[in-house]
This record gives sequence, structure tokens and C-alpha cells, in this order.
Amino acid sequence: MGIGVKTFWTFNIFGVEVWITETIVNTWIIMLGLIALAIFARIKLRSFKEIPEGIQNFIEAAVDIFDGLAKSNLGEKLSYISPLFFSVFAFILSSALFSVFGLRAPTADFTTTFALAMLSFLMMLIMGFKHKKGKYLKSFFEPYPIFFPLNLIGELSKPISLSFRLFGNMLSGTIILTLYYALTPIFVQIGIPALLHAVFDVIFGALQTYIFVVVSLMFVKNAAD
Amino acid sequence: METLGLIISVAHIAAAICLLNGLLTTFGQAKIASQAIESMARQPEAADNIRTSMFIGLAMAETSGIYGLLIAIIMLFANPLINTFVNLLT
Repeated sequence: MGIGVKTFWTFNIFGVEVWITETIVNTWIIMLGLIALAIFARIKLRSFKEIPEGIQNFIEAAVDIFDGLAKSNLGEKLSYISPLFFSVFAFILSSALFSVFGLRAPTADFTTTFALAMLSFLMMLIMGFKHKKGKYLKSFFEPYPIFFPLNLIGELSKPISLSFRLFGNMLSGTIILTLYYALTPIFVQIGIPALLHAVFDVIFGALQTYIFVVVSLMFVKNAAD
Repeated sequence: METLGLIISVAHIAAAICLLNGLLTTFGQAKIASQAIESMARQPEAADNIRTSMFIGLAMAETSGIYGLLIAIIMLFANPLINTFVNLLT
């Protein structure tokens, strides 16, 4: 763990420098884990029974809880996009839990959080144009056309605030734990960091994941409804 | 060299001032939490809804504190002024 992002190796593709950083490698590891979990759940899906037990119970509970959250925030009509945000939820939560093992969370890098926030922003635009069509463009010129620059700034600040919030929270946890590991003698590094990891990675990570998803859902609902 | 030292020391003082907005952020969050607890005690049946809104409000209020932290981090680790000064020398 460290404050800066390490670059493992660089190579050139047609004159463009490509950096393979710690963040990208960690993202690949998380992707691998999530894809393996998804394939496992898909294979298990064939042998699902009427009365759930074991792993089926867990999967059904997770999907059910998230569907309830999406329905209460989006309403019945728009809740067909909840699987997309379920995958975002799973990715952010697993990357927050990733740093419990002493590795750097991918969300402690601004590029990852900005990509996720741009996904929410694009989703907002697509849903707005799909459900409100011309009225969505008109909503930028309300209540008077002279308010257009203000409305534009308000819309463009949404992905920035969304990404900075997640990035700042994850980075602050990383910095505090890095300072703790760097400044303390070796004999206090055995039991006490578990408490810090529990607060900064598990609790803050879960809270920020929830908030990221709920605020994105609220943005989509405001655009489309 | 003296100018570079001056820039670095002023950047550190600026980072410390940026973190002072934690005072007001904490004040706002305390207000949200106390109001939420008060209304939860008054209406225990609506506690779940109030808790959800409270967390969203806490996150919104926390944003300004996070911005201050990010500016402080930029001041300390990725200060653009030092690069400008080094470019001026060469």
C-alpha cells in the first residue's frame, strides 16, 4: 500500500504510451472474482428449487434487496435498469473490501471513480432522452431560456461531485492506513489495524457504495421522470 | 532555492487551512444526525425511512469536507505551482 499509484510496466501501441498501473491490475483481479461468481451462480441457477436453501438463499436475498432499493428510488416504470446498478454496486463494494487484504482499492484512484460516474451520467442522458424525448432538452431552458448556463453547470457538476465523493472517501482511508503502517513500530501492527480496516474499509466502503448507487438512481429518476 | 522553500511552506499552510472546513462540515453533520434521532424517537414507525434520508444527507454534507481534503492532497503531493516555478528557472 502507498499514497501514490505504482506503475508496473509501460508499452507503446502506435506511439501511444499505455500504462499498466496497480489500479488496472487490481481491477482485473476483482473482475475475475466477480465473473467467476457470476458463472458459478449461473450454473447453480439450473438446480434452483421452489424452497430456497444454501447458496440459493443468499443469491435470492441479494437480488431481492437490491430490487426493492431500486424500486423504492426509481419507481415501478424505470426499475428495469436495476441490473446495471447492481453490477456497479457489486464492483464498488468488492473493491472496498479488497483493501482489507492490504492491497490498494481500485476506487482509490480517480480514473476508476470518474469512469463509474460517467456511466451514471450517460445512463441519465439516455434515460432522459428515451422517456422524455424533446421535453428533456426543453428542461434545460426552464423556467426561462436565460437560465441555460446555470442548468448546464448543474448537470455537468453531477458526475464530478459523484466521483469526487467516492474517491475522497476511499483515498482518505488508504492514506490513514498507509501512515499508520509507515509510522508505527512493528509490534503494534498486529491487532490494532484490524479495527482501522473495519472502520475505514468495511463501514465507510459499504456506506459510500450505498450512497453512490442511491444518488445515481436519484439522478436517473430526476432526468427520466 | 529560497523561493522554492517559500512556495512549499506556503503550500503546506494552505493545505492546513483547507482542512479547517472540517469544522463546519462536522457542525452540519451533527445537526443532521441530531434532528434525525429526534424525529426517530418521536415516530419510531418511520425510523427506516428517516435513516435512509439521514445517510443520504450525511453524504451530501460530507462532500464539502471531501473537497477540502482533495485540495489539501493536491497542494501536498501534486502541487502545480512547483512545476511552474521549476519551468521558470530553466
